[in-house]
Amino acid sequence: MEQLNPRIRTVWLAVSVVAAIALAYVVGLAPTETAVQPPVPLSVVAFGVVLVVGVVYQYLRYKAWGFEIQDDAVYIEHGVVVRVKKVVPFVRVQHIDSRRGPVERASGLASLVIYTAGSRGADVSVPGLTPERADELRERLRELAIENEESIEDAV
Amino acid sequence: MRETSVSQPADLHPLSIAYRAVSQLGQVGFVVLLSFYGGTDIANGFSFVLLGVAALGVALAAVLVWQFAYYKRFEYEITDDSFDIRSGVVSRRNRQIPLRRVQNVDVTENIVHRLLGIAKVNIETAGGSQSEASLRYVGADVARGIQREVRRRKTELTDEASEVTSEGDEDVVGESLYEISNHELLLLSTFSIDVRLIAFALFAVSFLPSESLPFEALPSRLAVVPLLVLGVAVVFVLWLIGFATNFSRYYGFVLRRVDDTLSYERGLFNRYSGSVPLDKIQTFTLDENVLKRYFNYATLGVETAGYSPTQSRQQGSETAVPLAKRERVLSLADEIDGVDEPEFMLPPKRARRRYAFRYTLLTAAVSAVLYAVSVYITPLRWYLPLAALPLVPFAAHLKWSNRGYYIGDGYAATRNGFWNRTTVILPYYRVQNVIESATVLQRRWGIATVTFDTAGSSGLRNDEARAVDIDADEAERITGEVRDRLQGSLAERRAERRRDGTWLDSVATDSPDASLGTRPDADDAQET
Repeated sequence: MEQLNPRIRTVWLAVSVVAAIALAYVVGLAPTETAVQPPVPLSVVAFGVVLVVGVVYQYLRYKAWGFEIQDDAVYIEHGVVVRVKKVVPFVRVQHIDSRRGPVERASGLASLVIYTAGSRGADVSVPGLTPERADELRERLRELAIENEESIEDAV
Repeated sequence: MRETSVSQPADLHPLSIAYRAVSQLGQVGFVVLLSFYGGTDIANGFSFVLLGVAALGVALAAVLVWQFAYYKRFEYEITDDSFDIRSGVVSRRNRQIPLRRVQNVDVTENIVHRLLGIAKVNIETAGGSQSEASLRYVGADVARGIQREVRRRKTELTDEASEVTSEGDEDVVGESLYEISNHELLLLSTFSIDVRLIAFALFAVSFLPSESLPFEALPSRLAVVPLLVLGVAVVFVLWLIGFATNFSRYYGFVLRRVDDTLSYERGLFNRYSGSVPLDKIQTFTLDENVLKRYFNYATLGVETAGYSPTQSRQQGSETAVPLAKRERVLSLADEIDGVDEPEFMLPPKRARRRYAFRYTLLTAAVSAVLYAVSVYITPLRWYLPLAALPLVPFAAHLKWSNRGYYIGDGYAATRNGFWNRTTVILPYYRVQNVIESATVLQRRWGIATVTFDTAGSSGLRNDEARAVDIDADEAERITGEVRDRLQGSLAERRAERRRDGTWLDSVATDSPDASLGTRPDADDAQET
């Protein structure tokens, strides 16, 4: 099982920090003229709690992520709260994208998106790959999809 | 091969001028009249109305001229391999639709059409988001002729491509698979109500506070009575609407099989006919709500891929059999695509305990909320939901026992739902991907959910094949098994194809332009 590039943890962590700051700010806006003054400002508490939860969540999230190119399908595993295991047979692959959004470009990462005709559409994406690995996987999957198409002859 | 009358360039029905003019005027005229009427004051209102009527007359003349020109400049023709339309008054458009690409020829007649003897023909391909061609309007018999002719020529083309000689061209009317009987139509219309609605209405009425309602004069025990009457009345009206809708929709439903296409006709006021190519069918769904189950009836639907879900179509889902005895529905499914009756495995018993647990918590939570409301806002009979607690074991059992999954030879099937039980039957070669998921709570119970995704399911409705709350190890096992069977079943289909004809080698590889079009069902690849 291949893991994601460890750098994605930094990105996710940054997201958690931003979320924590945003929430702390919102909490800070609330009126402070209450009868009992808490020893620590509520916004600091909120920041701390969200950050701790975020860090733990992102750690588990990274640990849960994994994918593998197997004999006849791509296998993907992820999810902390809802644990998801996906099997995408090569014959079903319609097309494959490797993508780099602004955040991904800034962090030197890329993601892979696998499209099938299934009703869930572009649901199958793998984040946190190096651009080289993403391109490599895309090429590899394309070959496998075509190969399987030829041997099975029916992409329906 | 221009032996039939349809293959000559043909015009629309002359009456279409009048009909189109009137319906266009209906849209324009109202605005015109309103804009004149808008400026009315009492003194000279009359003359304004006159002016409005005059304007309407002018508009009518203009519209008639326009529609006449449209009629004159509209021409269609079925050639050997395409459906051609030349149209346009000011800017001309010539459109050719390759017959091989045509998925569906729909004929629609509303009640006015039927009085005039005209019909609307829509020609659909897999591509666009709307009909590729719309003939508004041709004679009703001509419409049927077009439908038949397109089908016939399309079959000819396909047969040529697969080098199978076909003599069965006369068989265009097809065998009738199912015709709705009066009995079934009435039952179907009667069953139309969502049973949950009744339950909900009765439930909601039962614990409203008598004090907050204008029945204070009555003794509090009797206060419930008018509320009950109200609830029953609401339910009755809803039921009546459902009855009328279903009655007119499925009146005279006929399902036929013509070659490799299912075609159906239905409707009381709006006569509708359409077809579903068999090789586009992704899954079968069997709908049985509580009432249908009790009387041993069921509804069969087919989910297709390739139809773009336009507003008139419900997500590529068509009703194949509106209502029939369960056995008959199953035997029809068998006839259509060799579907056997699934023998369902139930989820493990701990799933049932989980539901009991969940319902108990839910009931308690509702009571708690109502209690909070009655303490802080207005008094409510917050304890009433607790009366439902004794029902929890039954509810849990029903939810559990109506779930199930089946991994058969050529098909997998899943079912879910007590009030509206939906069984989804899917051939392995239609599986797009397999998704196994387990929430935190599911993991605690050692259970998981497996979803078989196909190109046909919308996910919005209850039409996804999901084996819910099955044993986690079993989930793993069936994921693997379905995955293997998918490969096996695709290989089998390929072998069959090879046996059936050598088109693979002779057509697909030799001629460069014979890419997708020549393969009978390769156009499923359109979902890209």
